[in-house]
Amino acid sequence: MDEVLANGVRFHVKRITPHRRGNARPAQPVVFIHGLGMDNMSSFYYTLANPLAHAGADVILYDLRGHGLSERPRSGYRVQDSVDDLTSLLDALAIDGPVHLVGNSYGGTVAIGLAAADAERVASMVLIEAHFTVAGWAEKMEATLCRIGADLAAENKQQWMEKYGRKHSRMAELANDLINGTTFLTDLLTVKPIDPDRLQRLTLPVRAIYGECSDVVDYGHQFKEFVPSCELTLLPGFDHSILIDAPVQLREIVLDWFATQASVTT
Amino acid sequence: MTPDRILAEVRAMLIEIIGSEYALSLEINMRTSFEADLELESIEFVRLASMLNEHFGDRVDFVDFLADKGFNEIINLTVGEVVTYIADCLTPAGALDG
Repeated sequence: MDEVLANGVRFHVKRITPHRRGNARPAQPVVFIHGLGMDNMSSFYYTLANPLAHAGADVILYDLRGHGLSERPRSGYRVQDSVDDLTSLLDALAIDGPVHLVGNSYGGTVAIGLAAADAERVASMVLIEAHFTVAGWAEKMEATLCRIGADLAAENKQQWMEKYGRKHSRMAELANDLINGTTFLTDLLTVKPIDPDRLQRLTLPVRAIYGECSDVVDYGHQFKEFVPSCELTLLPGFDHSILIDAPVQLREIVLDWFATQASVTT
Repeated sequence: MTPDRILAEVRAMLIEIIGSEYALSLEINMRTSFEADLELESIEFVRLASMLNEHFGDRVDFVDFLADKGFNEIINLTVGEVVTYIADCLTPAGALDG
């Protein structure tokens, strides 16, 4: 397994170095950051990562702490911890120049957090259904995850196996341990709303993509108000799950985006 | 390397990933579906791809194999499709005929 130790945690990392170097490739690595809970790097591996690597990009995927095949420590789930994890991971991979970030849902929160903290480290961002830490965000997230945690705690492993089969019972087991067995929920509530001044200073290229019917689409509109360089696209008829439900449209947008970034940087 | 030999190696990797206790109840052959039959988690498929990459090296280009496939096509892959792709990569054109 591809493991990297960073910020005291063992991370599952997959780096896809292309066999061929296509013309539509960005000069800097592209780092994918997945969402919270039952998500992991596979949602990007199945959709955007391989097509982008095929176009010639140096692609890096990793499982957030507590997710996928990464270590699941009992604490360290604040947004700031996620940003520190990413920074440490880039250090461990000896990447000290800027990278392109592609974040889905909470992965977008982490991408925005790094850009706001250290803009020099981020060449551009693709934000897919990204949340960001405005006032009230943490309480909303905590309430949603708390409901999921209560549902999971009401059943045991054997019941999951009988009800969901091997695959989904394993996902339920992991999510249950993350939500009910770590400081995940309490850590979420410690987040402070992001400083608007820091966002307004961002000048990097940003492409934000949301489902038109998504329950978090307002984050896209708010982010664009703070960061005028953000190009916002709404996919008609889709909700929050566009990475899974609209992979063809997303693939086209993201490949075009990185072809443009390549022409800008070469 | 013959498809039978490749299948045996892929089978051994899958048993390592899903655990021999669960694997004992399953037959893993060319028609076995990763999703429907093995109930493989998507992150476990990523792990399998890494193990195959490590084992076969640059001779097998999984990026090329997966790049044009949609989400559902990857979900619905069979062991046989992966084995056949590996065999094609490792074998000069025409050598498997007959």
